[in-house]
Amino acid sequence: MEKTLRLKAKELLESGEVKVVIGYGWNRSKTRTTPVFITDPADVDTLVWNPLCVNNLSLYLTRKYKEIKALGRPAIVAKGCDIRNIVVLITEGQFKREDVFIIGMTCNGTVYKQDLWKGELTPNIMPTKCHNCDVRNPHVTDFVVGEKSTFTPPEVPTGMVYDKVKDLDSKSQSERWAFWVKEFSRCVKCYACRQVCPLCYCERCITEKNMPQWIETSAHPRGNLSWNLTRAMHLVGRCTFCGECERSCPVNIPLNLINQKMIGVVKEAFDFKSGYDEKTHPPMIVFSPDDKENFIK
Amino acid sequence: MNNIYLPNLVTIEDIYEEAPDVRSFRLVFKDPKLRDTFEFKTGQFGLYSAFGLGESTFCIASSPTRKGYIQCTFRKSGRVTGGLAQLSIGDTMGFRGPYGNHFPVDEWKGKNIVFVAGGIGLPPVRSVIWNVLDRREDFGHITIVYGAKTVADLVYKEELKHWEARGDVTLVQTVDPGGQTADWKGKVGFVPTVLKEAAPKAENTVAVTCGPPIMIKFVLNALLELGFEEESVYTTLENRMKCGVGKCGRCNVGDIYVCKEGPVYTAAEIKRMYNDF
Amino acid sequence: MADKILKKADLGKLIESVTGKGGRFVAPTTDSRQIVFKKVKSAEEIATDYILARNSFKEFLFPQTEVVAEFTLGKDTVDMRGVEVHAPQTVIFGARPCEAASLKGMHALFTWDFIDEFYTKREDNTVVVTVGCTKADDACFCTTVNLSPASTEGADVYLREAGESYTVEAITDKGKKFVEAHAAVFGSGSVKADPLVMPEKIANIDLAKVSERLKDKTHYDDKVWPKLTRKCIGCGACTFVCPTCRCFDIVDEGTAFEGERRKNWDSCQYDTFTLHASGHNPREHQHQRWRNRFMCKFNFFPEKFSGKGCVGCGRCVRVCPVRLDITEVMEEFSK
Repeated sequence: MEKTLRLKAKELLESGEVKVVIGYGWNRSKTRTTPVFITDPADVDTLVWNPLCVNNLSLYLTRKYKEIKALGRPAIVAKGCDIRNIVVLITEGQFKREDVFIIGMTCNGTVYKQDLWKGELTPNIMPTKCHNCDVRNPHVTDFVVGEKSTFTPPEVPTGMVYDKVKDLDSKSQSERWAFWVKEFSRCVKCYACRQVCPLCYCERCITEKNMPQWIETSAHPRGNLSWNLTRAMHLVGRCTFCGECERSCPVNIPLNLINQKMIGVVKEAFDFKSGYDEKTHPPMIVFSPDDKENFIK
Repeated sequence: MNNIYLPNLVTIEDIYEEAPDVRSFRLVFKDPKLRDTFEFKTGQFGLYSAFGLGESTFCIASSPTRKGYIQCTFRKSGRVTGGLAQLSIGDTMGFRGPYGNHFPVDEWKGKNIVFVAGGIGLPPVRSVIWNVLDRREDFGHITIVYGAKTVADLVYKEELKHWEARGDVTLVQTVDPGGQTADWKGKVGFVPTVLKEAAPKAENTVAVTCGPPIMIKFVLNALLELGFEEESVYTTLENRMKCGVGKCGRCNVGDIYVCKEGPVYTAAEIKRMYNDF
Repeated sequence: MADKILKKADLGKLIESVTGKGGRFVAPTTDSRQIVFKKVKSAEEIATDYILARNSFKEFLFPQTEVVAEFTLGKDTVDMRGVEVHAPQTVIFGARPCEAASLKGMHALFTWDFIDEFYTKREDNTVVVTVGCTKADDACFCTTVNLSPASTEGADVYLREAGESYTVEAITDKGKKFVEAHAAVFGSGSVKADPLVMPEKIANIDLAKVSERLKDKTHYDDKVWPKLTRKCIGCGACTFVCPTCRCFDIVDEGTAFEGERRKNWDSCQYDTFTLHASGHNPREHQHQRWRNRFMCKFNFFPEKFSGKGCVGCGRCVRVCPVRLDITEVMEEFSK
């Protein structure tokens, strides 16, 4: 697959169809992958593809990355799950479909965190999203790399995140509250969850607005709770469960539980899953006259 | 315990409306002992508190030759300055300082001085101007070139009138093209251009400048063209600060901590710094 | 005089001896699937098999958020009160030699003309007990910055693993007093220390050259900066886990009637960090913010505070969501 990927990248750069290929490369010791930005066709051999390619590179297509935008039209190496984020970005008007060349990678799953890699991809080191993936054959692409995957996701989603959500749902309100207060108490307010999220593309985040101060910046229980709940609410109906926030959290806050819970609520209320069709707008940004809530009418 | 982050309480004794959204406070320490003993040097700055909102950094705009009070001038632009702008005469606010280095005014005795300021850059320069004017006989010719976007944006309007009237100061006022009013008698044009036209003599002369970063850049060039030595041109850098005492880490220009090693620098020193402005 | 030793089985006694005198005992322990420095009450809580704790122990000297003053606002009155620092007697046990080396620079900064007693009073009451490393991973690079698992800089007491015991070496007077104060727990005898594990020095890095290159101001506008740091996403994770990062913000919080002034960790990686009220930002682009952090580590922090700007603990490398490895930038600047 790497060979096809490199050839395609070379062709795209040489023809001038794209000016930069955003993909994965090795770190120095070849123990971890890291995002790379290839602008010279001579450098395409830097590109790699393996189960360590965890990053959701669609982040770099957002408006925050002015210096990357300045390089010119990008091609992006994307797994199906990453493409779901590209689709959300398109539906939210962040750029047009033709503004990016999508090199879709067929995927057999990635590791949950790169440190878990021992040389072989086993189910126990894969994140919940991979066990239930319905986009192993990437769904919105300009070019596909890899053999078609025959994987069919289980009808009822399975995995640690779903089990834990179910477990939390079965608890009382006060127990759930206690659970989250404890988890959020570790938050260090580094905002890695926000920075790594392709959908947190606001140039001025609400945490940085201080007139009035909506969210206290101190890492005390009040500040941590209001930050984490606000982050969650701003992703309702948009989050694709890519898991980057949880992977990046330096203090292991189980953000995937919140994300998946919201996804479940949106599915139930609007029968909507984000990131599949670039022509359908997410429910939170559209108004429909037959909305079941009447407060808005 | 000695708490370096604890401000002193000050009372707002008077408020002056300088320009749209720009006002000055005349501040007096609540502690009578501090009122008598407080000393600062021209060019130093302080951190001013609006309680419940935070602290903001401005220079001390009054001159150390005027004892018993300090004055600050600020533009309402954010959370803290917005809160300060709501205070009235008699209200209490906080002050920490003085911090930083100062203009070496005593070394300038016998020299001519040219002041060049733009917009809200006049307050730090004002401290030097009054310091010099209060011992006028120690200095040679004094020129002030001051400009703002519009006539309304000129600060210290009463003092400008006074400087113009006193006869021992050459005052050149200007506004940016389009900023003039029908009865505007000053110049129309950008500060660096007007400065070049005014062409103050460079010989035995010190220049002091403050204003928006882009203005400072062109003013420095203009002064060099006029023959000023880089060592005789002074400016004051106003970077964002939180602690004011060399700890919090945000005011640095490369390896230089503006709060501790500045804010006053010569053009020669600025030239030697990392390009981190 | 026979050498001092500490039997691992006696760790519980040491904790009791410290906490019995009202002190707190901080050690690496497991919390939420990570090794973390936390206050512990028993020896069972202390992790034994770890490379480094996720957090640096700096938070026990310089907490992430702390109240420096309180105020009450009346109709015509303002009452502003300074807060006394809470500085309990503290033992940091199981720190690594790399992170302890951060203390000298921290002390120099917090006492630079103005003394921040919130830091110094805690520092006075803290004893740092390091344990030489018998494990390392590929993010460790202490030997590249001229430290090693045998370094004792910043430590008050230096321990080495020796089977079921530790060898004990009191480094500072504070360390000697600590060993004396808990003399009943420390035994004497002769045990052979386990071998230390030295991370391999990164071949292409020359620290002196990095420092020399950074002094030449022309590098500031070099295209190498955006190129090397393009992938940086601007989160502050690296700065928050770094033992030498110590930048902070000062904020007011509370209601219209009362509140507090807090000193909170901040990060030079945030774009609001240096943003002026006018909208001008001296470090507008992420690569400029990254450059600042690198300059701080290898140029102005060591020069100004004659301490270590970077101790090679590798926390920033491990925590970075995009694996931006500081040693790869050091390598570039060694050329």
